[in-house]
Amino acid sequence: MIIGISIALMLASAIMILLVLLHKGKGGGLSDLFGGGFSSSFGSSSVVERNLDRLTIITGVVWFVCIIALGLVLKP
Amino acid sequence: MLTAITRAFRTPDLRNKMLFTLGIIALFRLGSFLPTPGVHVSNIQKCLAQGLSSDAAGVYGLINLFSGGALLQLSVFALGIMPYITASIILQLLTVVIPRLEALKKEGQAGTAKITQYTRYLTIGLAVLQSTAFIALARSGQMFPQCQEEVLLSQDIFPLIVMVLTMTAGTSVIMWLGELITDRGIGNGMSILIFTQVVAVFPQELARIFRSNTFGFAVVMVVGVAIIAAVVFVEQAQRRIPVQYAKRMVGRRMYGGTSTYIPLKVNQAGIIPVIFASSLLYLPQLAATLFGNTTNPNEVIRFIQTYFANNIGNAYYMTTYFLLIVFFTYFYVSITFNPVEVADNMKKYGGFIPGIRPGRPTAEYLSYVLTRLTAPGSLYLGLLSLVPIVALTLVDASQNFPFGGTSILIIVGVGLDTVKQIEAQLQQRNYEGFLR
Repeated sequence: MIIGISIALMLASAIMILLVLLHKGKGGGLSDLFGGGFSSSFGSSSVVERNLDRLTIITGVVWFVCIIALGLVLKP
Repeated sequence: MLTAITRAFRTPDLRNKMLFTLGIIALFRLGSFLPTPGVHVSNIQKCLAQGLSSDAAGVYGLINLFSGGALLQLSVFALGIMPYITASIILQLLTVVIPRLEALKKEGQAGTAKITQYTRYLTIGLAVLQSTAFIALARSGQMFPQCQEEVLLSQDIFPLIVMVLTMTAGTSVIMWLGELITDRGIGNGMSILIFTQVVAVFPQELARIFRSNTFGFAVVMVVGVAIIAAVVFVEQAQRRIPVQYAKRMVGRRMYGGTSTYIPLKVNQAGIIPVIFASSLLYLPQLAATLFGNTTNPNEVIRFIQTYFANNIGNAYYMTTYFLLIVFFTYFYVSITFNPVEVADNMKKYGGFIPGIRPGRPTAEYLSYVLTRLTAPGSLYLGLLSLVPIVALTLVDASQNFPFGGTSILIIVGVGLDTVKQIEAQLQQRNYEGFLR
């Protein structure tokens, strides 16, 4: 049981990292971080990006559920 | 002010953006409380309570500040935004050293996007490193040196790997959340997330001071408001260098002929020198704990342990810190603002500063003004960052003293920036904004 959820969590984590890295980075550099200029981002997201968003959200939910489940199972 | 806020909420577009941002922040805070599976929650709470009463949190001061207390709880988002900041700093420094990165930076938008992508890869790499380090610390019991309780549920290797992976994935999720805010919300996502974490520590710390010393609390509040006002004042301060653009004909159109200005901020470097200096000063202490022979320390290690370890309210530490900040302010300003480049660009588009020839004299003038302007800026940054250390010795406050230099700079900087962006959005519809 514990091992099963653990493996699921590991898989979900790996997929999550991959999916996030697949996104196009929207954050500005360091200069924007603390009171930089305006970085207004126009341009609508493409279909690929939207599907990627959907996939990421689903994976995120699975990841979250796995964490809670494992936490509950492991609870002393 | 209030009418402006109601007007902001009455605009559907803006309202959606603000609600979206708030929702992401709520998710982010939730993740900061969710413990990583495999952590012994009740034991870690006990250890935390012990650690706060003694000043053990000082070792992880800055990292813990940026994680909003999530780090010492070993939650899913324990690493917080720190890997991303470190990665950005590293890449920023590398652009000076590596020619390929410098070429990318000059390419404009496409190049910047590529650098951002490298930053994201590096963030994940750093996240793996840092999460491994913290799990190892927790496993060996060095995270809470005074605490006898077992922090982790199991010492086996498999659960530890799961924890490391989970925390790394947590960092990537934070990165994504930040980008979502930048994309669809208001303001720069990463800075808003840092802002959230810094502000989250506030009530707790204030309550602690209030409980220990009521008179001190009043003094802290008054001083805090004064500091905030001063910081806002200096952050907004800028020198405007007038630039005149020559009129020119391109085909049948007339271009230019306008006069604008280059705004040079007094504190051009922002918060970054403080982060550099703190992370650098953390190194000797780390080295001393790693390589030091605790039973029979030699001269150097004893010196580091007396002056640079837990008790930092001494002259040596404060002077080093101050000098480092002044140095890094100049260093960072010289990285981010290149007078030669600005002068060249101005020349290309037919701009000039009245009374100064374009080209090299302009570059020299700009660097002269910038150097003089950075002097008060760096002194201000240095003094501001000494405030928490002084307060540490005067009143009983912990390392992440709420009105400390770093936190105030972050709060004011991000706050001003975000309000300005909301205002810019608001002004697309009607003219009266927040700031007059």
